[in-house]
Amino acid sequence: MKKILLCVAAVLLVGGVLLFAAGRAEQATTDDETITLTMFTYTDLTDSVDVANWEVLLEAFHELHPNIRFEIDHGFDEAYHTRLQAMSAAGRLPDIMFLWPDDRTGMVTASGQAKDLRPWLSGLEGEFAEIAMMPQGSNGEIYELPEQVTATHVMFTNERLLDELGLDFPRTHQELLAQGPVIREAGLIPIAMDNGGGWQMQSTFLSALVERTGGMEWYNRVLAGDNASFEDREFVAALDIIQDLYRNDMFSPGMNTADYGRALTDFVNERAVYFIDGGWRVNALVAELTEDQKGHVGLRTYPDVANQRGVSGSTAMVQGTGYGMNSRLEGAAADAAWEWIWFYSGPVGSEIRQRHGAVPAYRIDLPADADPMVTKLTGFINETPAGWVLDSVLGQESMGLLQGDLQEMMLGSRTPGQVAQRFERFVAANER
Amino acid sequence: MTSIQYRRASYITLVAPAFLVYAAVIIFPIAYTAYLSFVRWQGFGIPQWVGLANYTRMLTDPIFLHGLRNNLLVVGISVFGQIPLGFVLAYVIYRRMVRAEKFFEVMVFLPITISPVVVAILWNQIFSPAGAFTAIVRALAGNPSYVMRLFEDRTLAIVPILFVILWMYTGLYMVIYLANLQRIDPEIIESATIDGASEPQIFGRIVLPAMVNIIFTTTVFAVSGSLKSFDLIWAFTQGGPAHYTEVIAIYMYRHTFRFYNYGLGASTSMAIIILSVVLIYGLRTIARHFERRYE
Repeated sequence: MKKILLCVAAVLLVGGVLLFAAGRAEQATTDDETITLTMFTYTDLTDSVDVANWEVLLEAFHELHPNIRFEIDHGFDEAYHTRLQAMSAAGRLPDIMFLWPDDRTGMVTASGQAKDLRPWLSGLEGEFAEIAMMPQGSNGEIYELPEQVTATHVMFTNERLLDELGLDFPRTHQELLAQGPVIREAGLIPIAMDNGGGWQMQSTFLSALVERTGGMEWYNRVLAGDNASFEDREFVAALDIIQDLYRNDMFSPGMNTADYGRALTDFVNERAVYFIDGGWRVNALVAELTEDQKGHVGLRTYPDVANQRGVSGSTAMVQGTGYGMNSRLEGAAADAAWEWIWFYSGPVGSEIRQRHGAVPAYRIDLPADADPMVTKLTGFINETPAGWVLDSVLGQESMGLLQGDLQEMMLGSRTPGQVAQRFERFVAANER
Repeated sequence: MTSIQYRRASYITLVAPAFLVYAAVIIFPIAYTAYLSFVRWQGFGIPQWVGLANYTRMLTDPIFLHGLRNNLLVVGISVFGQIPLGFVLAYVIYRRMVRAEKFFEVMVFLPITISPVVVAILWNQIFSPAGAFTAIVRALAGNPSYVMRLFEDRTLAIVPILFVILWMYTGLYMVIYLANLQRIDPEIIESATIDGASEPQIFGRIVLPAMVNIIFTTTVFAVSGSLKSFDLIWAFTQGGPAHYTEVIAIYMYRHTFRFYNYGLGASTSMAIIILSVVLIYGLRTIARHFERRYE
């Protein structure tokens, strides 16, 4: 009998351990005075600028709301998305999380695990840039409050180097190509750009080029599959430009294997005349460039291309990322989560972020002592016409295919026509 | 309760917890993965039965086939690179053919103590376009525009990774072989030496037969580890550029966690399991052949 009891005790012990190991979902906790929320933020802990900015924001929030505490977890890049997806699949999402307006965090938003923010946002929409308030769900839902409006294509230009080389900013693609030998002869890189991750070429260059070669009317029709396709001359022409630049050694050598950040380093160290990246790079340039350098760095867009149907000088823009809340939150906990979301993307957080190089989606005036780079980026965003960013209007898998094929095209394994054909077939079968 | 009933009850009670744990962490995930491989599912909503569509898509996808080719090269470098090299290094140290054998033992083993992610980042600093390799060649060749472009070649892009895998894991096998070599009775080798046996004869007639089992075991480790290799390659290149260095575990990860194609990810996972079982079964057949030969 003793042995049986021992065995039963062993079973209960193992069962107990398993139950304990299964844990329980973390939830917001409240007591009489303090509400504690779990938060998963998108922070690059290896970037001192990013971390410093985050700490300033957090401190300012706690001064305003001492009764709201956070249990914070940080993630960045792939690691962030993988963990967020795992949390979503396990039904253990935090109370507050960083979300994308498109498919990138679609598993959370499309599955109903993020709360629609419109009840809190009602009446405040006009305080944000128009593009920031575009619907994020099929019924007009707003799942995250955009922190900024993002221009994904900026051609940062070192005007002083251009002068020293006796060059002017080119008016056309052909003029830019003609500058290549002069710039290389001086031991410089014509266009600093890195594409090791694959997304950079699509997001920071191709998206803007597609508007140039096709124009918005065609761009909208091709996305809807309305008598237009990615096999059309307009899209192939945009791919041709990239191939043309690559074959003429205009980009950073080895760009398709370079880590993100190398091109920025080359530009900051004045080893490159032009630098193509997104407007978000101003955050880093504010800290990395000297005051003297800031005076001679211009924010421009790619010059005109042959047979251009789009708008001269256009870029690509997308509503930015921001914080959203778990759909389980109700009452005081949900209100507390909104306090953070509103703080971060609203007037107070926007003012702080603006000082550190962001161009907020919230409409605020530029302070007189704003950093010159912030002033330039604000002007750029306000004045530059824009088309769609491909990865904000098409799904992740389509982008995965296109980005890999773009790299293959540059490395000589595919022609622009083949890239266009494969992309169109995939989009037609899966997205329209 | 009779004695037989008592024994049966005891057996069930004692085995059940272990079986439940095994079922929860091994049987259920494999069975669920097998089920998912036949459905289209995005991680939420109701899975839609699609039969063999995921397998058909996977087997006709050039990226998967290139990843499979890369995986087989990783298996090749593990089985025909790490294991023979590890064995030779262990033998050299065991037979004291070099001085300061402890130093060499530590040096060869050292890479395995470093996290694969750190190893990948370190070697990436060497092989990247702005890395040490490029800088050295620029200095030696006097060509300031030289850039290491091995990764841009579809066929050869995996070579630097194979080299790092060989560098990193050989020490592990060396230590395993050395530990097993030290279990061979030294008197047998001494007797053979006194009887006039040459070094190749000692190796072929005494050492190798004693090591067949451990060589088989380590080969199984090498094959299964190679087929699921992910961390080092992901941290090194993320499978890029243009999927040139992709392996099937990265293909699975990308489809599951980037594109929310749980079905395709599961079918890739099943492919890894099937491939592992087939290769390990093949290895067992070969190992049995050698065992019979040396009996």
